[in-house]
Amino acid sequence: MNTTTTKNPLAQVKEMVQSCIQCGTCTASCPNAFAMDHTPRKLWRMVQADNADAVFKSKTFILCSSCYYCTLRCPRGLPLTRAMGLLTQMAQVQNPEPFKQSHRFYQEFIQSVRRHGRVNEIEFMSLFFLSMKNPILPFKYASLGIKLLQKKKVSIPNPNIWKKDQNGLEKIFNKVRELEEQS
Amino acid sequence: MDKNNSNALVVGAGISGIRTALDLAQQDFHVTLIDKSPAIGGILSQLDYQFPSNHCGMCKMLPLINRDASSQFCLRKGLFHENIHLLLSCELSGLAGEAGNFTARLRQKPTWVDPDLCVGCGLCEKVCPQDIPDCFNEGLSSRKAIYLPVPHAIPNAYVIDLAACNRCGACEEVCPTNAIQLSQSNRKAFNILVVDDELSIRDSLKEWLEEEDFSVDMAVSGADALTKLSQKPYQLMLTDIKMPQMGGVELLKKAKKDHPNLSVVMMTAYATVETAVEAMKIGALDYLIKPFDPDTLVPMVIRIFQDIEATKDREITIDTIIFSTGTSFYDPADEKNIFGYGIYPNVLTSIEFERMISHTGPSQGALCRLDHNPNDQNDPPVKKIAWIQCVGSRNIQQNADFCSSICCMIAIKEAVLTREISKGKIDTTIFYMDMRTFGKSFQRYYDTALSEHGVRFERCKIDSISLDKKTNDLIIRYISKNGELKKELFDMAVLSTGQRPSYKTAQLAKICDLSTNPWGFIQTLPFSLTLTAKEGIIAGGSVTGLKDISQSLIQASAAAQNAGCIIHSKGSKKLEAPIENKGVYRDVSREPVDLLMVICTCKERVTRFIDPKILTEKFIQDPCISNVIFLDNICTDNGWQELEQIVMDCRPNRLLIGACHPYLYIRRIRELAKKCTLDPVFIDVVDIMTGVFQENPDSQNELNSTGFHITGILNAGAAALKQAQYQTSHKIPVHPSALIIGGGIAGMTAALGIADQGYEVALVEKTDHLGGNLNWLKQTIDGLSCENLLEETIARVTKQPLIRIFLNSQIISCTGYTGQFKTIIEDGEKQPVTIEHGAVILATGGNEARTQSFNYGTQNSVVTQKDLEIRLADKSIDPKKLDSIAMIQCVDSRQEPRNYCSRVCCPTALKQARFIKEQNPEADIYFLYRDMMTCGFTETFFTQARKDNIIFISYEPDNLPQVEEIEGKIIINAVEPVLGRPIEINADLVVLATGITPEFPDTLASILGIMPDMDRFFQEADPKWRPLDAIKEGIYACGIVHSPGSIPESIATAQAAAQRALNIISRPVLASAQIVALVRHSLCSLCQRCIDTCPYGARMLNTDETKVLVNEAMCQGCGACAVICPNNASVLQGYSGQQMLGVIDAVFEDLLN
Repeated sequence: MNTTTTKNPLAQVKEMVQSCIQCGTCTASCPNAFAMDHTPRKLWRMVQADNADAVFKSKTFILCSSCYYCTLRCPRGLPLTRAMGLLTQMAQVQNPEPFKQSHRFYQEFIQSVRRHGRVNEIEFMSLFFLSMKNPILPFKYASLGIKLLQKKKVSIPNPNIWKKDQNGLEKIFNKVRELEEQS
Repeated sequence: MDKNNSNALVVGAGISGIRTALDLAQQDFHVTLIDKSPAIGGILSQLDYQFPSNHCGMCKMLPLINRDASSQFCLRKGLFHENIHLLLSCELSGLAGEAGNFTARLRQKPTWVDPDLCVGCGLCEKVCPQDIPDCFNEGLSSRKAIYLPVPHAIPNAYVIDLAACNRCGACEEVCPTNAIQLSQSNRKAFNILVVDDELSIRDSLKEWLEEEDFSVDMAVSGADALTKLSQKPYQLMLTDIKMPQMGGVELLKKAKKDHPNLSVVMMTAYATVETAVEAMKIGALDYLIKPFDPDTLVPMVIRIFQDIEATKDREITIDTIIFSTGTSFYDPADEKNIFGYGIYPNVLTSIEFERMISHTGPSQGALCRLDHNPNDQNDPPVKKIAWIQCVGSRNIQQNADFCSSICCMIAIKEAVLTREISKGKIDTTIFYMDMRTFGKSFQRYYDTALSEHGVRFERCKIDSISLDKKTNDLIIRYISKNGELKKELFDMAVLSTGQRPSYKTAQLAKICDLSTNPWGFIQTLPFSLTLTAKEGIIAGGSVTGLKDISQSLIQASAAAQNAGCIIHSKGSKKLEAPIENKGVYRDVSREPVDLLMVICTCKERVTRFIDPKILTEKFIQDPCISNVIFLDNICTDNGWQELEQIVMDCRPNRLLIGACHPYLYIRRIRELAKKCTLDPVFIDVVDIMTGVFQENPDSQNELNSTGFHITGILNAGAAALKQAQYQTSHKIPVHPSALIIGGGIAGMTAALGIADQGYEVALVEKTDHLGGNLNWLKQTIDGLSCENLLEETIARVTKQPLIRIFLNSQIISCTGYTGQFKTIIEDGEKQPVTIEHGAVILATGGNEARTQSFNYGTQNSVVTQKDLEIRLADKSIDPKKLDSIAMIQCVDSRQEPRNYCSRVCCPTALKQARFIKEQNPEADIYFLYRDMMTCGFTETFFTQARKDNIIFISYEPDNLPQVEEIEGKIIINAVEPVLGRPIEINADLVVLATGITPEFPDTLASILGIMPDMDRFFQEADPKWRPLDAIKEGIYACGIVHSPGSIPESIATAQAAAQRALNIISRPVLASAQIVALVRHSLCSLCQRCIDTCPYGARMLNTDETKVLVNEAMCQGCGACAVICPNNASVLQGYSGQQMLGVIDAVFEDLLN
């Protein structure tokens, strides 16, 4: 990492999209563009203009479903899907307000997976609600929960679940962390 | 004409190849022109409409001076020039030697139809069972295996596409003239030797091949084979690889040593395929993998047989070779095929669209959806068409970091045509990234397309096309101007496919050991668009990258000039001057008319309508007509020989031939005229076929009327010949020197171009030094030094004794006409100097446009591109001290009154930005631009600039950036279109790209007698087809007074202009053509209407003699003056009034009786 990174949190992404010509291919080919607050083209322009605040306030990159259409079609051959992923990762680290909910959601999900080798829906959601400290939130999810229960998509917790690392998954997670720290 | 010895070989007979060949031929060099296809014209033969006129105009390339040496009809139909040897279906297969003495090996592919015998009746096409996509129509229609390569050529002989032919022989049976030679009779003479140690294989091979009529012998071993080879000539040997004692490879080596022309095919088991491949490297032709069946073997042997039998390899000696092999286009059906080309029915490429709207196209010019039946009235017509730009261009993922230069204008032209053809009923939308209207009149054409024709332009790259499966409509998603995501349905999408090197380019580069650029186009030397690293090998036309018509022709003429210099420097001889015709022909003016009429029966097609006996009786009554003879197929060689014999026997003093296409006979008539010593004015061919014939007349009535027409035409032809008179040919002497006005790089290059071929040049420069704009330009965008170029050029000019330099001088007057100008120059000592010269080249150049926009002149930190170049060079601007620089493009340009693109400003700005970034990588550089005009390979510098962190912000002409000074700092306010909000740039320096204004004063224009165009640039005679010629013949322009351009582009125009001038001054005299206008001074009332009417400026009023004079060399014999003259004082030689009235009487004779 060069020194500019410390100055500009977007430097790495900026380098990736530096030669963007604002042609709009990415936006027109994006299947999720309709739901984005800024089109991908605009997002890259914001990155080029070093507007980090606005970039991380945007939900555009969260909505990227990694279909790779933009990367496939970009006439400049830019790694746009990877840039979207990188922004998501940065947002996770920074944990800014707009992503608090999704951040916690993902975090509790992965913690549950880490503990049991699969997600335990009831535990995962309970811990998620607790972390959000919002008493109204569970009600928002109530109807979805009932539907899922009816379709038997919510599993009954196994009594063994509280045993620690029964799957040896911890080793993998540790290794990944090690590798990430190295890079 | 020695066919094995040419001054130059031009490879490729597209428009640029034709231009180069014609230029050299006009200079009396002998040229061999070859093309791999069976017809001339290249890509242009497929394109019917060229902007801005929507016409073709190719014929304007034909020479105006000495025009009788070449054909004078539609150039799409064919080309003929005394000094050009044209070989079609011919490819270059090898090149050896060096400049001045190359040996080129040419391989002419057989077309299997003898063009001298084919009468184009089309019977063969009707019986051919094959049906394959027609490449002339880009596969939109189908053709037979025997076909006409283009619909318009004359003579139009059929050719056979052997790849598609199944050799059924049906065409051969129906051909009335036995022109088709697919015959198998020669196969018996084709000896094949089969070598294998296994009897069963030998036997079965012998059986299969003998069934196909070949002569087959067998050998049991390598030694046996060598003995057999020494006893009898064999053409082909099939040998096994694994044999005891002597293996196949060893046999191959030994056999090839003694019989180098023997073709060898290796037969191998799968395990030894590698050995077979190795064998091909040491001379084997091909290999067969065992086991194989007759279906594999026989076609291979037949192919080899045909190649050997029919291919005529020939070697010619040449001084220089010019490649005009053109480009190919990107295939949008690549691995991604995001536009569904070839899958969705209505996605076309731009060339396919051109064929769609052509009257010779698959739907005869009707625009219809390809998934609909055009005959069905209920089918909805095309309502909306989208053009998608940059398909296969400006795309790094497709290895295309270049702009293909011409697609924007093609798309606009196609959209405008569509609007015109449909009378505005079809909606047209062009989706683009940058609209590159970089040529002279392009920006105004774009403006009219937008405002007058209602073409819609959307600035968005289209990512893909999807299909509405129910209706077959095409769905296109794009972002509108205000950032909204839109979805629109179209009936048809046209892909503007970009350039790719022609598939032959790599092969040619290999044959000639030339280097190519990263994208596979031929690489030229610095500052030259035409010279390659190998002396004597020259690149013309689009072989170095796609070009529009005018640029191709400029490059072609420049290539001709380069070639001429090589031929001259190698001391090669030109063609000898043609022998004077005087005395060759006998004088028949005092003889009574003795007319011989020969009528072609065209395989009884004519005699079905007219009874030869009745016709003969009718004509023979005329005392002037001595004989009427019917011959079969005069157009064939046999027919013509028969005719010649009859003429020699009868020795008539008038000869009328009733046949088809008079064009076909021009050359033959000239030859015949010399043989029978009868002036060609007394020989004529009338067309009794075209427009007269109905293939299958329904009734006796029609039969009679056709016969009636034929009689009328023959009668008229006879009447014209009866009154024919000798025509005097005029010769205008030529001053073999040129005047060049302007001593910049263009003027100096043009001067060298002429002087290096041995002609004198007067180079007039108004300042006290040569060099023009190169005096302040330091380097080019690719880092080449302009200073070195200038130094070298000035040194060459001053050392060249044939160049006379006039500094501090100007032109006082210029009189005369092409070949004979007389000019008075006021030289440095203010003394008048009179010079005589044959041609004028205008190279007065131009300057950076002045401006007052964006506070220029009031603030020191607002500079122009020229200021920046100068101040960077003298170090009064230090890039290291600059934090932020803003470049504003298109200042006062591309809008009225200077509504043109200056083309050099975008690359120049990129060049400066690059230089500043090199010195100071931390500097922020902003470009405020409308469309970046980085055409061709300069696109890479644009890409590089983006990578270098330069920010590009586009602006609209109706919302210009605002520049203001606040406390010593410059603030620029603009709107960032993608973010959709205003932005503010703090800049230390603002650089304005103001473009180029030409230096072409009114006084000079009026002295030369020409008019500048509306932007005060040089006005071309035709912007596409005669791009450097003035309307007044003998005056040419080059450099930036012609049009803005880079240094290499200016040099190319200079060389091309030099070539155009050489076409005139290298001839001792300018000979007029047979048909020219004359003035009968006794009848002339000096009303001067003819002077205004003459489209070629060939008439003038001589005030001293008070006479209207005709410049016979310039007169093109159009007859406009004869029509306008109220007193019948203007007449066209060869078309006297008496004669014409006689013709009219003759046509109606039968009707009136």
